[in-house]
Amino acid sequence: MPLDTSTYHLSLLRLDGRRWNELRRLHAQISTQASADGSSYLEMGNTKIICTVSGPAEIRGGGRREGVERDNAVVNVEVGVAGFSGMDRKRRRGDKRTTEMQNTIASAFTSTLFTHLYPHSTISINLHILSQDGSLLAVCLNAATLALIDAGVPMKDYIVACTSGLTPPASTLGGSRGGNSETSDPLLDLNGMEEQELPFLTGAGGTVGGDVGGGGGWV
Amino acid sequence: MAPTAQPTILSPSELSYLYTSLSLNPPIRPDARSPTSFRPLVAETDLLPTANGSARLCFADGTEAIVGVKGEVERTGGVGKQIGIREDDVEMGGIEGEEGTGGAGGEDWWVEVTVDMPGQRDDDAMVVFLAQMIHEGLVADGGLRARLVINRRWHWRLYIDILLLSPPHTYPLPLLSLTAHLALLSTCLPAPVAGLEKDDDPIFNDDWDAAIPLYPSTPPSSKAKANLSAARPPITLLVISVGDNIFFDPSHAELAVADAVVAVTVASSPSSTDDLNLLAVRTIDPPSRLSSSAAEMGQAVEEGAWKPKKGGMSRTVLRKMVGMCVARGGVGEEVLGGLEGFT
Repeated sequence: MPLDTSTYHLSLLRLDGRRWNELRRLHAQISTQASADGSSYLEMGNTKIICTVSGPAEIRGGGRREGVERDNAVVNVEVGVAGFSGMDRKRRRGDKRTTEMQNTIASAFTSTLFTHLYPHSTISINLHILSQDGSLLAVCLNAATLALIDAGVPMKDYIVACTSGLTPPASTLGGSRGGNSETSDPLLDLNGMEEQELPFLTGAGGTVGGDVGGGGGWV
Repeated sequence: MAPTAQPTILSPSELSYLYTSLSLNPPIRPDARSPTSFRPLVAETDLLPTANGSARLCFADGTEAIVGVKGEVERTGGVGKQIGIREDDVEMGGIEGEEGTGGAGGEDWWVEVTVDMPGQRDDDAMVVFLAQMIHEGLVADGGLRARLVINRRWHWRLYIDILLLSPPHTYPLPLLSLTAHLALLSTCLPAPVAGLEKDDDPIFNDDWDAAIPLYPSTPPSSKAKANLSAARPPITLLVISVGDNIFFDPSHAELAVADAVVAVTVASSPSSTDDLNLLAVRTIDPPSRLSSSAAEMGQAVEEGAWKPKKGGMSRTVLRKMVGMCVARGGVGEEVLGGLEGFT
């Protein structure tokens, strides 16, 4: 069922009652699992993610590494989308969107962590998506940052991320209900329904160092 | 089947000390527990909004698992070929009685179990074995699949997705089994409001508060109780023997010196005076068989250095193990009762 985002221009309220700049409820926990080096649990609205970090550790049988790979730690990211995470039960493993997300997260953290302190080793980040309702990449990045803090991996900055979307300009919707707004409005922290309808971008940045990287997706 | 356990880091003399203290009478466990007592565990249920039932369980050694149960309505005749194959299997097995009650009793494949472990492939032997063992226990008594029948043409399909969040430190089967048990206890399926007659399309109540638990805490009527043989999903317990002594919930160090490791699957029995039902017993290779000292078997035994035992386990020990699990007031009942307290 298509979502009618045009109602936004009438009340300036989104489908779940938020204004354009309001985030969903954020709940975070750290050190949730005793057997991992670092772990975190992050909820943003109905998106719920558990992240565990193991390492930096030497991976046995990983083969010889050359050049940059030998002198720096390698960041390995594995994103697991649980079968029960969505409305319909489906298994998503090795799917292209998951792989892209893994690469984005790995490259974001490779640039922020002090990987040169841990040659010959691997930092592996496991993300388990328990429930998905939009802003997956942003929540994954935030959860991974928390878990890495818990693991005590030195980093030059905390990576935080948020999704933002764009409402279609009222003039493109036709009719007169849009009133005077000719431009489209930005929306922060999209939920699953808005994400299906609107173009969105996930921005990631550091708190002090400015932009450290980011990944986004347009629908 | 093969265990996952990592090689032990204990020295031969430490192992010998451990083995001796465990085979004393009464035995002394490293953490001073009694042979049947479990380590404390943390559990919560109903934590996922998009699943019909869910549970999270943390064992004392830090291993953690999450299980989500999802139900889907499926047409019973819809996958004709698949059913045809299964029925052939039943005939070959020589269970003629099943054939007549096929519609009422349900099919094994209506319950699907998947296990997900970090860093393991989906088709890894260990992952497939674990999923199969848990599935086996769940469908063994026919109680669960009988609950999934809606009418002659429709049935529920149950997906049980098991996520192991931590690396498997000790053998993960009991953790996964207990978590699946809790998730099934918290599972609710939408209540049908119409279409329960033979061939109608079922219509369900939208109200989640009206949903019917898959395992009601009290059976709705005595007749239903007679039909459904087990009121609780089965659990699998890991039991080890050291000498003549039997230990439940073994720690990593205790597993390292175990003579035999057995996974016992039990389910509650319909009448409250009987023993629990025994569904499956599986022996698991004790980790000591894989250790370096096992390879040196046949050499002269040094004083104070432990050598893994050769040969199989004695039938008396196995009988005692199973008896402790299924007896009225035994360990199996205690664990079932304890888990019920979490929901």
